[in-house]
Amino acid sequence: MKRTAVYPFTAIVGQEEMKLSLILNVINPALGGVLIKGEKGTAKSTAVRALAELLPPMAAVHGCRFHCDPHSSQLCDDCTAKLQAEGTLPEETINMRVVELPVSATEDRVVGTLDIEHAIKHGEKKFEPGILAQANRNILYVDEINLLDDHVVDVLLDAAAMGVNTVEREGVSYSHPARFVLVGTMNPEEGDIRPQLLDRFGLSVVVTGEHDPLQRVEVIKRRLAYENDAESFIAGYKEAQEELAEKIIAAGKLLPEVTIDDKLLETVAKLSVELGVDGHRADITVIKTALTLAAFNGRKQANLDDLKEAAKLVLPHRMRRRPFEEGELDWNKVESFLAAEA
Amino acid sequence: MLKNNLYPFTAVVGQEEAKKALLIALVNRRAGGLLIGGAKGTAKSVLARSVQSLIGAQKLLTLPLNVTEDMLFGSIDLEAAVTLGEKRFSPGILARATDNILYIDEANLLRQELLTAALDANSAGINNVERDGISCSHEVRTTIIATMNPEEGTLPGHILDRFGMYADMQALQDIGQRVEVIQRALAYSSNTLAFCEQFAEETADLAAKVQAARELLPQVEVSDAMLMLAAQLCSQAFCAGHRAEIYLLEAVRAIAAMAGRAYVLPKDVEEAAQFVLPHRMRKPPEQQPEEQEQQDDNQNEEENEQDNEDNPDDDNNDEDNEDNQLPPPPPPLDNGDDDEDDDASDDEDEDDESDEDEQQQEHNNSNLAPEEQLADIDKSFHLPKMLLDLGKDRNVRRGSGKRSVTKTDLKQGRYVRAEQPKSKVTDLAFDATIRAAAPYQRLREDNGCALNIKEEDLRQKVREKRIGNTFLFAVDASGSMGARERMRAVKGAIFYMLQEAYQKRDRVGMIAFRRDKADMLLPITRSVDLAQKRLAEMPTGGKTPLADGLALSLQTLAMMNKRDSELEPILIVVTDGRANAVHEGEKDPVAAAISIAEKIAKAKITSVVIDTESDFIKLGLAKKVAAAMQANYYTLQKLSKENIIHIVRNLN
Repeated sequence: MKRTAVYPFTAIVGQEEMKLSLILNVINPALGGVLIKGEKGTAKSTAVRALAELLPPMAAVHGCRFHCDPHSSQLCDDCTAKLQAEGTLPEETINMRVVELPVSATEDRVVGTLDIEHAIKHGEKKFEPGILAQANRNILYVDEINLLDDHVVDVLLDAAAMGVNTVEREGVSYSHPARFVLVGTMNPEEGDIRPQLLDRFGLSVVVTGEHDPLQRVEVIKRRLAYENDAESFIAGYKEAQEELAEKIIAAGKLLPEVTIDDKLLETVAKLSVELGVDGHRADITVIKTALTLAAFNGRKQANLDDLKEAAKLVLPHRMRRRPFEEGELDWNKVESFLAAEA
Repeated sequence: MLKNNLYPFTAVVGQEEAKKALLIALVNRRAGGLLIGGAKGTAKSVLARSVQSLIGAQKLLTLPLNVTEDMLFGSIDLEAAVTLGEKRFSPGILARATDNILYIDEANLLRQELLTAALDANSAGINNVERDGISCSHEVRTTIIATMNPEEGTLPGHILDRFGMYADMQALQDIGQRVEVIQRALAYSSNTLAFCEQFAEETADLAAKVQAARELLPQVEVSDAMLMLAAQLCSQAFCAGHRAEIYLLEAVRAIAAMAGRAYVLPKDVEEAAQFVLPHRMRKPPEQQPEEQEQQDDNQNEEENEQDNEDNPDDDNNDEDNEDNQLPPPPPPLDNGDDDEDDDASDDEDEDDESDEDEQQQEHNNSNLAPEEQLADIDKSFHLPKMLLDLGKDRNVRRGSGKRSVTKTDLKQGRYVRAEQPKSKVTDLAFDATIRAAAPYQRLREDNGCALNIKEEDLRQKVREKRIGNTFLFAVDASGSMGARERMRAVKGAIFYMLQEAYQKRDRVGMIAFRRDKADMLLPITRSVDLAQKRLAEMPTGGKTPLADGLALSLQTLAMMNKRDSELEPILIVVTDGRANAVHEGEKDPVAAAISIAEKIAKAKITSVVIDTESDFIKLGLAKKVAAAMQANYYTLQKLSKENIIHIVRNLN
């Protein structure tokens, strides 16, 4: 099947925070994904789908249903058995990809279930992997995530918590690695997202339509040009796309070498206590994001500016402590706090 | 799978109480397992899963939220049935968990009947299976460790009781410790194996200690004096039944065994009490050890009792009713001190906030037309039973869970079990069908497949969907309601209903009627946030077009019903009934309102009228409207004592 043309990521006008947060998650899948909130028509879905083109190649076990990382110790049962039996795993290079979870998906399709055909033909139980299996080591994209059925959200939470999908249903008992970058988009006017799910997102951004008339004109122009002749429009961005893709790969390689001063860790801890955010996930994610930002900018040392930028992406959705308390982040408070710490 | 990569138990910073409780649970199965509660991101799951490193050859089995009944209890062995034509039992999780540890993440999201069944089977020690043509029973002997985040609603009291111990996890507040948490998290994710190696020795030592304690356990004896102390503590905590004593004593023995003693000291009993009693004791909130800050800290004992009297039938189950008649709360245990300090400061904070609110409100009022007012939300509105966190007030949330669990005919919702189809099969339960067909395969002709399925094998899926209710508020925002205190109280009441709706993920809509018309302030939505904003912004003033308000409500609900007949909406009308906005051609605005109220009754819409009339001379018009609507009728004053949940539940 020929792949349908995708609007190039680099051709999206403005929306810098959204683009940055997506890129950071590609560089460092351990950040915990991003929730993109915004009204209709703010290029949310376009951006996520466009991201597919920029995803880096990765090593995977050849033929594995969960594309296990052959160099990791976190392998599925099949790969573990194979490694024990043969001492080595066949390797292939595949591209990280975007796996979509439609809002209408049923639980059995999400977590996987009994392979019915196999059961009828052979009278044996076999596990048929679901979307979470496809999503392992990939990006799991849920459009309108706030409209997802409660029980599907529950199983997502279950898997996201520890990166393992445990299935005990319809006669099959199975578990496999399910580590994915969760990317969700939502229009807040269509309903809330559950607090437990909200917390699973490492980063969050709010997108709004461009207000600058010149920018708006640019949006329209590019859209028209794309619709008019997608092929040559895409060709026009080829260079920019390649450049960004290379930058992402380079940042991924640099990331393990990036360090951060202990003093900055303390700053983050104090900030979290000061703001009263729940738990420790905020602290950890701010630091990881700051490290990734430094890597993206080609630096081996994360600094206070990285921290500040990271805080902007990590903290806002963690401010709400109770239903109905205004959970808004007072950014001035953060700025003055960080200025005092500097 | 993946077990060597788990974050090590000994690498978790702080959280000494939860760690101790886990060790007790591991050392002595009879201590009844452990429920860990706490806010998100406090390493609950990390800690619970890390016990794998302490239990040697035992396994930590996960009971996932997606579990189906056949997998929990066990079912027919498909392969044996097909190939051998034999009915054999294929063990479920309960069987597999025997002599292992069973872990349930987010237990409050698991279907409650499954959770109860698992806990009951374990405490009875037996699982009786009667399903899919299999009849058998087997021993169940496991330790259940569960976590939950009470943010989305805690577990009902009768389920809490079934856990031997409860431990709370809070985020660390010490900066040094927080930095340590970050450093370890980074080290763990950058080089997992090296990180685990670093803690391997410490972990092995602890595992050995657990093993030694298990071996010593049978020799640990509890003296009569210690028995007496345990009984006293339980009776001071007013625990229902005698489960508490048993769990307490077993936990005590585990603590002694871990200390390498074959005898028990008073401090062991006190230590065990802090895990065994908090979730089953009844005490005033300010002494709750696991209390979390709440908006109604100033709630006092008197209200507690009063509420118990007011809502004798708040609960469905017998055991719960016993709780309601309990005498006043006991004196505090030794570990309540810190929390009292916290409470004091919380109260201060709250006062500050309400000052700000008032200032804000005055500011807002200055932007409005002279006859309009903007009442703020009376957050101190007394519905003390509505804010329930674990331990805070066990009576209330019980039986809650998500609101209506509905069996649904649509192919949506969670597949819970299979049944014999009553008519044509519309939603085939493949697994159950195959299980039903399996035993007969040797007798049926070969069709080229391993399985030959006949019509009588077909099974239908039974699905369950948790649907929230839909509440439409029709609020009188006229001048007569505008007396500031009254509107504050009204907003307060609605605010709390919205808060309840938030936890249950109900849908809400809001209509306001004032001057000469009714406005849809908020179309029906799941965004309770938005509802709250609109509520805060709702100005009052002008005449009372009650008939318009009711007409718009009727129209909205009728439309909604057309779209989705599965939802049963509830209309809540808040008014003083003093309709006085006259349209052309109408004479009596009250009669007009009553005529529409009758239509609402005819449309069989469940409704509630909350009468806000508080003037000295009462006209009782709202009551008349309520009668015409066949609505449940409450006065605002009564409401402040009554429990709104109670009202709402009575509707279901």
